[in-house]
Amino acid sequence: MLDKNLTSLKPYLLRYRWRLLAGILALLFTDACGLVVPWVLKLAIDGISSPRNSASLLHYAGLLMLAVLVQAVFRVGWRNGIFGFSRRVEADLRCDFFQHLQRLSPSFYDRAQTGDLMSRATNDLSAVRELLGMGAMGIVDGVLVVAASVSIMLVIDPRLTLLTMLPLPVITLAVLRLGKLVHERSRETQEQAAALSAMVQESFAGIRVVKAYVQEEAEYREFARLSREYFEKNMALVRVRAIFLPCIALMSAVGVALTLGYGGWRVIAGGMSLGSFVAFLGYLAMLTWPLMALGFVVNLYQRGMASLARINEILAVEPEVRDAPDALGDFTVDGAIEFRNLTFRYSRGAAGPAATATGEAGAPVLRNVTLRIPAGGVVALVGATGSGKSTLVNLVPRLYDPPPGTVFIDGVEVRRIPLTRLRSAIGYVSQEPYLFSDTLAANILFSAPARNGVEPREEAEVAQLSREICALPQGFETLIGERGVNLSGGQKQRVALARALARRPRILILDDAFSSVDTETEEKILRGLRAKLRGCTCLLVSHRVTTLQEADRIVVLEEGRIIEEGTNRELLARRGAYWRLYQKQLLAQGLEDRLRQAPFQAAVDAVPHSSPYRAAPPQERLGTRPSQRQESAP
Amino acid sequence: MIHGLGPDSAIHEDEALGKAYDARLMRRLMGYLRPYRGLVVLTSLLLLAISLLQLVGPYLTKVAIDTYIVSQDYAGVRNMALLYLGIWCLLAVLQYFQTYLMHRMGQHVIYDLRTQVFQHLQGQSLRFFDRNPVGRLMTRVVNDVEVLDEMFTTGVVTFLGDCFILAGITVAMIWLDWKLALLTLALVPLLVLVSSIYRRKAREAYRRTRLALARLNAYLHENLAGMRTVQAFVRERRNLKTFHGINLTYRDLMLRSIFYNSLFFPAVEIIGALATALVIWYGGGRVVQGLVELGVLVAFLQYLERFFRPIRDLAEKYNIMQSAMASSERLFKILDTQPDLESPAHPVAVSQCRGAVRFDRVWFAYRSGEWVLQDFTLEIEPGERIALVGPTGAGKSTLTNLLCRFYDPQRGRVLIDGVDVRDYDLKDLRRRIGLVIQDVFLFSGDVEANIRLGDTRIGLERVRQAARRVNAHRFIEQLPRGYQEPVAERGATFSAGQRQLISFARVLAIDPQILILDEATSSVDTETEHLIQENLEELLRGRTSIIVAHRLATVQRVDRIIVLRDGAVVEMGSHAELLRRGGLYATLYWYQFKDRAEDLADLAPSGAQGAL
Repeated sequence: MLDKNLTSLKPYLLRYRWRLLAGILALLFTDACGLVVPWVLKLAIDGISSPRNSASLLHYAGLLMLAVLVQAVFRVGWRNGIFGFSRRVEADLRCDFFQHLQRLSPSFYDRAQTGDLMSRATNDLSAVRELLGMGAMGIVDGVLVVAASVSIMLVIDPRLTLLTMLPLPVITLAVLRLGKLVHERSRETQEQAAALSAMVQESFAGIRVVKAYVQEEAEYREFARLSREYFEKNMALVRVRAIFLPCIALMSAVGVALTLGYGGWRVIAGGMSLGSFVAFLGYLAMLTWPLMALGFVVNLYQRGMASLARINEILAVEPEVRDAPDALGDFTVDGAIEFRNLTFRYSRGAAGPAATATGEAGAPVLRNVTLRIPAGGVVALVGATGSGKSTLVNLVPRLYDPPPGTVFIDGVEVRRIPLTRLRSAIGYVSQEPYLFSDTLAANILFSAPARNGVEPREEAEVAQLSREICALPQGFETLIGERGVNLSGGQKQRVALARALARRPRILILDDAFSSVDTETEEKILRGLRAKLRGCTCLLVSHRVTTLQEADRIVVLEEGRIIEEGTNRELLARRGAYWRLYQKQLLAQGLEDRLRQAPFQAAVDAVPHSSPYRAAPPQERLGTRPSQRQESAP
Repeated sequence: MIHGLGPDSAIHEDEALGKAYDARLMRRLMGYLRPYRGLVVLTSLLLLAISLLQLVGPYLTKVAIDTYIVSQDYAGVRNMALLYLGIWCLLAVLQYFQTYLMHRMGQHVIYDLRTQVFQHLQGQSLRFFDRNPVGRLMTRVVNDVEVLDEMFTTGVVTFLGDCFILAGITVAMIWLDWKLALLTLALVPLLVLVSSIYRRKAREAYRRTRLALARLNAYLHENLAGMRTVQAFVRERRNLKTFHGINLTYRDLMLRSIFYNSLFFPAVEIIGALATALVIWYGGGRVVQGLVELGVLVAFLQYLERFFRPIRDLAEKYNIMQSAMASSERLFKILDTQPDLESPAHPVAVSQCRGAVRFDRVWFAYRSGEWVLQDFTLEIEPGERIALVGPTGAGKSTLTNLLCRFYDPQRGRVLIDGVDVRDYDLKDLRRRIGLVIQDVFLFSGDVEANIRLGDTRIGLERVRQAARRVNAHRFIEQLPRGYQEPVAERGATFSAGQRQLISFARVLAIDPQILILDEATSSVDTETEHLIQENLEELLRGRTSIIVAHRLATVQRVDRIIVLRDGAVVEMGSHAELLRRGGLYATLYWYQFKDRAEDLADLAPSGAQGAL
């Protein structure tokens, strides 16, 4: 019956073995005390029926109280011991699970769904805990109480015991048989519940379409149909589950009736004392619960093992990116980056974002890329979607692992640099940054060296956030995840930039980091960055020529290859891909500027009742800042 | 994560707990039992019968001992045993039916409540869905309702049964020997005291553990979703420390509530044992004195054990009730939310629809103060084809949302054929508008039903014809069951292109006077793109068409291009006119190709060359 999955629990069991043992021991004593009670009753009743012992009634009452008091102490002990054990294992397991997830590489998170991981860390973990707590208790209780009660009953009257045990195989068979049915039907019910959830999820996620096509009623009918089916599945489950209790109760009633009949006759015949008769009834009653508990334990075991397997499945995933065995002990990044004849493809199944876009998992995303960036150099990467820009910059902090001998920092292969050392030296801003539901200050100082109580003013200034933050009533202490305060895409990108700057990086990677920031603000940011970033290597991915021009060197990528490389001036002189891009954008920029200065009155005039075109450039607004527009609201 | 509610606050709201018993909520919940009065009465009667029969057991033991064993009447003892067995057989049957009927009642209520909540949610406006993430709504419809099932079956009914049993045992004990009964019942106040202390402690502990759990899960979720950031910023160790702290807090709170529970159970047992000891000492003495029969004593002891059982289970029931009250509070809050957008009481009847659209000085904001449209006016002739073009956030989709009346403008009017959309019946209005989006969403049912969309006037022939016109007929015919092929999982079994064709056929079959074609913001696969271009003419023919163009390839065939910016029309005209003008449209046209630097020279159409 033992699963190899169980071995993964061994370290936890060992860690808390004394607690578990103490709990089990206490449970044994609790049960033992419980077994004393009917015996005391037997003695008392025998005492009462033969009046010469009547003086000791108080004695029996006292004995009973003593047994129960001792039992109470042990009961407190086992509950805290066993349940405490299971809670402790759960907490440790959860922590280890979390730590393991922290070590897994981005390629894992490309595949995994957060919801699924969450359910493993919560529901599955609970099932394992119940197996450890309730399961342990059920087994000990079941085996011990049944064995002890039956032995005592055998002592009292062997023949009566055997007689009352007659229904036992029937109970066991019934429990196993029904248990299987219940298990099957509850699985079906669970599946129906999942179908119902999925339907609700899809229907509400697509509510716009549902409403547009006036399909509310059809959706409602479908929902009602699934609910009805769920109802039926539940009732099918109830039909078998409802047999359980009456069935077991009936079986124990058979035992009681047998005791009444046969035992009564024995008492009349003088072969059994009245006290033994009553005690026998008491022990018989004690059997019912553990037998039920055993059925319950089987269920717990099945669920718990399935859940443990799901947890182990994740724990068995090896992080793809980790410190190499020959990693350097210590390393201080200066900032020179070199790509040496780099050809890179995403491993199967671990399709990176770029690979997904081109739909060619397995095909090389980068081909023969050779590029040297001196420490302090600023290099811009440009190219179409899927040309490999993001992949290239992702290889520097080792979000994915490059093939051996291809990516070097300060002349050392990245694989050999300790991960924490490497990443600590890199400031990374992606196009869609992830911020945490904390204060602005905490987000900006996310990984900065400890700066007690000092506001990240300087970083906010460079990221052009100061003005907006000052306008917030709570400034840097504003919670960004709380109700009401919304950050626009551009604001998020700028907070992310401040966050990257706050750690004083040696290498700054801006992966299309200003795509939602308007050009004017972007220019200001870039100007500030120049001053701030002296000596820091900078990799800049952008589509905007104005951004690209800021770089010392510009690299144009196409389908994973470097097709052009040089300074702005050199590339323009070359009249290649970059020059074409430059021309088009310059033209577009010129138009944009003209548009800003002189609205097309003619076009506007053609529209009846139209509002005059407003010349203000699109600006991001913080949700809480009162604007003049708000005041003019109707 | 940033928009709307943070994960933290959402979960906290979900986990907030009220009282374990709230008369107002309870009354309302009980209202759901009304249609099943018959079942309620029947289960209650069964429960009463069961409780009474269960009380017979100890009494039979008493009779067996006092009457038959003492008088050595074996036949009597045997009869008692048979009677006992008979009663338990009856009891088993009754118990089975009672459990079954009780769950049936609970499931009925759950079904009613669930479908009601679903329907009510569906009736909410899009504004409501903007505010409430789908995950939370799912929790309402699925989990919260489920909690109530537990309350109806395990909580309320067992509570009723327990009351019957407690009352019955009290009566039986008093009847057997009132002095002995009073003596044992004197312990009840002690029991009440212990359970009330426990309830207070448990309530507080329960609340705090739920909060700690919510915090734990929120932190876990945030870290999983943002793991790349955590790793890129080497925050693993610090976050692990934080997580460890939250984890330990939760664990310790849990350990504390285990401790409280572990005190409560033995406390009840001790009081029970005290009662038993009293019965043995005092009752035993009375038996010895010949004042009480021995069987009475035995029956008493058995009654006592049953008396304390329901009280021991109180803790579990208390938790069930507590979460049930919290769930029902959340459900009722949803049911009490009035849709902020409804059909008028006396809608204008739709007669012959021409398809004239007019936005008349419309002001609109999704969030108060952030105007998307300000004093916007636009007129579209019947049968005209227009394209809406402009940067993200210019208000293109907003215009279509207002036309479908997904939202109401704060000021101004949207008119179709000269009538305010607010004066039409919502469903009539939306039936006249066809919406084609590129991320096609198919409904459950078969292919035919997906084309006809519940309109019984559309026959199979018309469905086939529509499919033929957009070249969907061929692939549908090749499906194993043709037009009757079931659609599973919202159409996941079809390719994106096939789904798109079905949605085209849908438009032709339903034949709306107004068509909205919303291009996907991200690029779709080339097959789908190709299909759209191929069938565009067929789709647009003879109806007022509004194309929300994110990519500009489609717009060259329309009558008029409307260029929007910051919610206002900045340019208007045909493709060639606008390019010649060299304004925002021309700019956007260039930006279209910013990702394809190398393609630019080849792709620039002749119209653009003219602008240079």
